[in-house]
Amino acid sequence: MSEPCSTSATPQSAVANASVLRVRDLAVFANGKPLLRNVSFAVEPNQVFGVIGPSGAGKSTLLRALNRLTDLIPGLRVTGDVRLHDQPIYEASVDVNALRGRIGMLFQQPVVFPASIEENVLFGAKRLRSLHGSVRHELVESALREAALWDEVRDRLRASALALSVGQQQRLCLARALAVEPEVILMDEPTSALDPKSTQAIEELILRLKVRRTIVLVTHNVAQARRVTDWLACVCLRDGAGEIVESACSDAVLSNPQCREVIDYLANAP
Amino acid sequence: MRKLSDFLIAAIAGLCALVAAGILVGLVFVVAQRGLPALSWSFFTEQIRLVGAAGGIFWNLIGTIILLGAAFVICAPMAVGLALVERVWLRSNTARRALRTVLYTLNGLPSIIFGIFGFIVFVQWCGLGKSWLVGGIVLALSMLPTVTVALIERLKAIPAAYVEAAAALGLNRAQIVWAVLLPQAWGGLVTGSLLGLARAAGETAPIMFTCTIFAGATWPHGIKDSPVLTLPYHIFILAQDSFDPAVGAKLWGAALVLLVLVFLLSLVALPSRLKMHEEANV
Repeated sequence: MSEPCSTSATPQSAVANASVLRVRDLAVFANGKPLLRNVSFAVEPNQVFGVIGPSGAGKSTLLRALNRLTDLIPGLRVTGDVRLHDQPIYEASVDVNALRGRIGMLFQQPVVFPASIEENVLFGAKRLRSLHGSVRHELVESALREAALWDEVRDRLRASALALSVGQQQRLCLARALAVEPEVILMDEPTSALDPKSTQAIEELILRLKVRRTIVLVTHNVAQARRVTDWLACVCLRDGAGEIVESACSDAVLSNPQCREVIDYLANAP
Repeated sequence: MRKLSDFLIAAIAGLCALVAAGILVGLVFVVAQRGLPALSWSFFTEQIRLVGAAGGIFWNLIGTIILLGAAFVICAPMAVGLALVERVWLRSNTARRALRTVLYTLNGLPSIIFGIFGFIVFVQWCGLGKSWLVGGIVLALSMLPTVTVALIERLKAIPAAYVEAAAALGLNRAQIVWAVLLPQAWGGLVTGSLLGLARAAGETAPIMFTCTIFAGATWPHGIKDSPVLTLPYHIFILAQDSFDPAVGAKLWGAALVLLVLVFLLSLVALPSRLKMHEEANV
């Protein structure tokens, strides 16, 4: 706490317009009490932007502020500026549902709906645009292929999704998000409920997905951050509210952390 | 000392449970014992003759089923709407509490009040006369709180993660209601309706001056001035106004049929209710 920490955001060379997501002075309050403050960062196209930090520092809240899922939680108030391709997302004129269609999300626990695998893949897509028979099948196949689940479920698309393993369910959730064609995918500790094999599958997917999309990944797992992220922001608690205490390219953060909290966190992290 | 008081409390509680169970068993036994001799195929297929001393209860059973059907059709959409308003559209807790208070108050209203209300508003003001539709409306109102509360409880039991996941895909509120909430709340509607109908089936006060007569009605011929025969009113009139001993057996028979009808409605609702408790425990 004694030494001043650098909170340098992205280098200035990354011009504002090129960033997919740009966050300035974001703060989130729960019933007036700050959960997050002074959060600023930029996410570049085709980047895996990692967010690490201790539990309870507000990483999940930060993620939910990026697609306005915070709107659903009573008592939460968000201030500051979040821009998707330089369009402010917190303006009154913004169509929140369309925004969430452009920014997909994967949760800590896979949430599959009590329906068939096929229905789950189409759950969002078929309601956001009209899909006809053959287009549906193509979409189901392409989304499941992109989520590396096609080969395991191609023979039982009509079977209940609840019968899948947790790892498969998480990939199904990813396929469901991909079917909506989001530009950005937010992932909230997507592998924390999974076994090592499924975790590896998801990590390989992240690396494949970033070719076409941009990913913001909250993770608890430093090894995972090392394997898949390009840029890392560390969120730590200061005076009861989460702040980004260090933000740099992930090799730099992991090999040569500057900030006392990050050094402590990395030393104790799994 | 402590052991003794423990034993006493257990004994008293056990005794109370025994008395309650005993009354129920005794009641069912008496109704069954007196009613069974009256039951026969013709009892269900014939209409009343000789002011209830002969014949059967065909039109009474049909009338009661018509009323229950109408009550369900009228009640279900109102209950779904109210429950969704409470869970989805009302954002302030005060408003929610106000709506719930209204529902509980409505639930506590004596059934005769529903009868008077139906009589004044629909029978007289709207000029419908005694009609099966008025009976359906009045019964629907009387079971509305039961059905709505069951639906609200079922909606509450849906994990917030489902709503969040659907919202994260970009679905709007109406789409979330259709795709996530209603499919999973369907069981609550069925359970609540069956329980509400089980109670409504035996109600006499709300229907006696809104929709039912003692004899002479068959299928409804329209909406205005189109009463039906019903089981509860049949029992009410026979029990109150007849000295004819031949009526006795028929009366108990009708009571037994009503009891079985109500029991069946509750029984059909049982699996869904048990499932609801399981889900609530997760």
